[in-house]
Amino acid sequence: MEGITLQHYLFLAALLFSLGVFGVLVRRNALVVFMCVELMLNASNLTFLAFARDSGMDVGHLPALFVIAVAAAEAAIGLAVIIAVFRSRGTVNVDDIRTMRL
Amino acid sequence: MLVLALAFNPFVDPFPGAPENIAALLWAIIALPLAGAFLCGVLGRFMGRANTNFVACATVAGSFLLSVCAVWAVGSQATQYTSPASGAPVRWALWLDLGRWFAAGDFSVHYGLTVDRLTAAILLVVTGIGFLIHLYSTEYMEHDEGYWRYFAYLNLFVAMMLTLVLADNLVLLFVGWEGVGLCSYLLIGFWYQDTEKAWAGRKAFIANRIGDFAFIIGMILLVLLLGATEKMGRETALGRTNFTDIGRARAWLTSLHDQGPLNVEVLREWATRIPPEGPRTRSGMNLSTTISTEGPLQGKTFGHVLTAALLLMLLGAAGKSAQIPLYVWLPDAMAGPTPVSALIHAATMVTAGVYLFCRLSFLLVLSPTAMAWVAMIGALTAVWAALIAFAQDDIKKVLAYSTVSQLGFMFIAVGTGVFWAAALHLVTHACFKACLFLGAGSVMHGNGDETDVYKLGGLRKEMPWTWATFGIATLAITGIVPLSGFFSKDAILHGAHGTELHGIPWVGHTVYWIGLFGALCTAFYMTRLYVLTFEGKRAADARVPHAHESGFRMVFVLVFLAFLSVVGVIWGLPDAFPGPAGEKVALMEGYLAPAMILADREASLYETVKHLHDAGIPWGAYILAWAVAVVGGAAAWLVYRSWLPSRGGKPLPAPIALFWRWARHKFYVDEVYDLLIIRPFTLLSKGLYKVVDGGIIDGVGVGGTALVLKRAGAWLRYTQTGNAQNYATVMAVALLVSIGVVLTWVLL
Amino acid sequence: MTTFLFYFFAILTVVAAAGVIAARSPIYSAMSLVGTFFSLAAIYALLLAHTIAVLQVLVYAGAIMVLFLFVIMLLSLGESVGPAKVTFPRVVGGLVAAGLFAALVIAARPFVPAAAQTPPSFGTLQSIGAQLYTQWLAPFEAVSLLLLVAMVGAVVVAKSRV
Repeated sequence: MEGITLQHYLFLAALLFSLGVFGVLVRRNALVVFMCVELMLNASNLTFLAFARDSGMDVGHLPALFVIAVAAAEAAIGLAVIIAVFRSRGTVNVDDIRTMRL
Repeated sequence: MLVLALAFNPFVDPFPGAPENIAALLWAIIALPLAGAFLCGVLGRFMGRANTNFVACATVAGSFLLSVCAVWAVGSQATQYTSPASGAPVRWALWLDLGRWFAAGDFSVHYGLTVDRLTAAILLVVTGIGFLIHLYSTEYMEHDEGYWRYFAYLNLFVAMMLTLVLADNLVLLFVGWEGVGLCSYLLIGFWYQDTEKAWAGRKAFIANRIGDFAFIIGMILLVLLLGATEKMGRETALGRTNFTDIGRARAWLTSLHDQGPLNVEVLREWATRIPPEGPRTRSGMNLSTTISTEGPLQGKTFGHVLTAALLLMLLGAAGKSAQIPLYVWLPDAMAGPTPVSALIHAATMVTAGVYLFCRLSFLLVLSPTAMAWVAMIGALTAVWAALIAFAQDDIKKVLAYSTVSQLGFMFIAVGTGVFWAAALHLVTHACFKACLFLGAGSVMHGNGDETDVYKLGGLRKEMPWTWATFGIATLAITGIVPLSGFFSKDAILHGAHGTELHGIPWVGHTVYWIGLFGALCTAFYMTRLYVLTFEGKRAADARVPHAHESGFRMVFVLVFLAFLSVVGVIWGLPDAFPGPAGEKVALMEGYLAPAMILADREASLYETVKHLHDAGIPWGAYILAWAVAVVGGAAAWLVYRSWLPSRGGKPLPAPIALFWRWARHKFYVDEVYDLLIIRPFTLLSKGLYKVVDGGIIDGVGVGGTALVLKRAGAWLRYTQTGNAQNYATVMAVALLVSIGVVLTWVLL
Repeated sequence: MTTFLFYFFAILTVVAAAGVIAARSPIYSAMSLVGTFFSLAAIYALLLAHTIAVLQVLVYAGAIMVLFLFVIMLLSLGESVGPAKVTFPRVVGGLVAAGLFAALVIAARPFVPAAAQTPPSFGTLQSIGAQLYTQWLAPFEAVSLLLLVAMVGAVVVAKSRV
């Protein structure tokens, strides 16, 4: 593609990843944190695919496929955990879920 | 036992059996009392009083019998051993090497025991009088609950004193030296529940310790000195000949590294090779040679270092033998049981300093400066202590100061080179001083432990045995013919008078006149003591109405000791026996000649010590000495029997009263020490305790460390929030950092 | 043409992603996330990753986001949980995100695009499938196991205590 080089895609992926990190570290709602994790995973997917396209070997699509599958599994479990936590604590505010302290 | 030794004197030569067998048993002389100490200490309470008494006395008696055998052997010409330091035979002596104790680099020390004529004389004193005092103690301490402790300590003391006497090197001697100091502390503070008595023990130990410190440094100087000799000896051809390479020199070098530099034989050999400057230098090195080895001795001459070492040992001996400046512990030591005072502080421990110098006579003679110091300190102490004794009211304190004074006499003898006279006075003094102390103990025992002479009096009729023996011992100490004390004291004074030290010729005469004055004072205060205690009427405020004489065991010992004080005169009779070179000498002088042979030879060869008149009996000097003693005694008799009672209660004339007050307060020496030394030290201690220990170590060190850790922990606790997002933040930071590192590494 | 499409969808993606992190309510975040997924699918298509693009829409936007919405509705979360609190860890988090962005951009710069020729079968289902069931069989089986475990686990964890 004329003008759109690998660098553009990588830049986009970096931007998406950073936005995802920002969301994970700043938002207080656990569900939103989860969504930002999905955002990060997508950014990594984009990186994979950009490199695959650039090198011409489509074997790079397979890790992306697996990332999608694993993200699905992780979302399932994570949301189940959030439900359990909500049942016991009545909130999904990460500031109020301080169980992991010594 | 002197009588027994008389039977085996050097001029009668039968010794059945091989001397090697006796030598092999030398260790048992020390081991027996040591075992006794252990048994009495550990099992004494279960054994019961009678058994403990038996064990304690039996072990010392066993030591005594073995000592007699050793003395017998040493009296025979056939007894000899090969010196490790020279390869030459050492006659009239036994030696047992029990193996190496420790070695640190070049420095090595063996467990070696040796008996020569000097050791023999002291051995008999220690074990014999030790046994008698054990016997006396069995009755004296019969009402005391801690008897097992007492006998354990007493036996331990005997073992340590024997170690000191039998040691063949200075390190083992020092072990005994410290050991007797320890036992002295334990026994002085025996009734430790009384704080005053415990502190008296502490005072004794500390004063001793100061001396010990000086002793150690003196020993170290000697070690360095011998090391420097060896090194310098290798540098010149003549040095190599005499110190490292040939025959006897090689033997010396080997023994320097094997037996160690503090072995007496090794030191002997060294002394023969390092003469003072003079016509007969054999090695190219003499006492004026400057030491060139690196280290603390560099630039000083051998002679200076030797003098320094001997002066330090003098300080050590002053601590142990209660001379100026470290005598202050001995009067306080009277807080212990009286038999302890008799054994330790009259007969044995306090003579350790004198013994040390007699042992090292060959070194002392090389340094006239050191000898002058020894003599002067001895003379001054003799007079100082005698003056203090004038005004003391406590029987035991008078006797204590008397001991200090008599030890001063022994030091005079050592300092002027008449070592045999010092040894003779040591032996005779042991006998009559022990008799005096035990007599005082008997007086106390019979008068409800009263020690103030002004509350006694008139005991002549009520305690006849004690009176008689005390009287005989008093006559002996004041130096009345024909008792032993006269001849031993006069041997000292006469020898001092006739001695000229190289470079310091006035010492001999000065010391003689001071000593004579001391003898006058001795006569005065001893007679005063006797008169106040035994003569006259019983004091009105006596503690018990009627004094009772002591039991058989105590009286027997008193009588025996008094007998020895009389009979010991044989050893001192001048010019009565043939000496080693054929001339006529006193018995003790002849007996000790083989032990002092090197010292005598050095003295005459190098003219460091010149004995001026030694032919014929000095009648003039004898009459003068006897007159002095009689005058002193008579003066005391008159004062206390006639003059003072005739004055009624009138106060004394002003100068005498002033002197009396000063003397009674011991010339305020203790107070001066307290002000100059003890108070600053206590202040320093308190300062260190509060500031350094309390403030810095506890506060900053321990407390500070704890505080820092506490704060750090509290601060770090903030990272444990429990908030998963915070943890995620931390992880993200770490991730960023690692990416940054890798990036810089890759891109640069 | 591709340039325009790329920039269009890229800007869409970024705006939707911003919406995810900035929205007040989780529902809005979820909706924005769906938008992000769709835009990304378009970009994947631009990268000739056809299969992945389709799977993205099917799995991510179709299944995972539905799950998210179900959970949001189950928990009856309305508005966001109170005013935003600016705490020190959050500031650090923001800075870390910025730093990470910078680091990634710097890391990406040295790559020289090869712009290789792609075969006609690039990214097609046949190509993916062929590789998936031959060389990548083991990871494939593992992932299927993983999905089984996730299913069981989700049921067990989320089950209400009866």
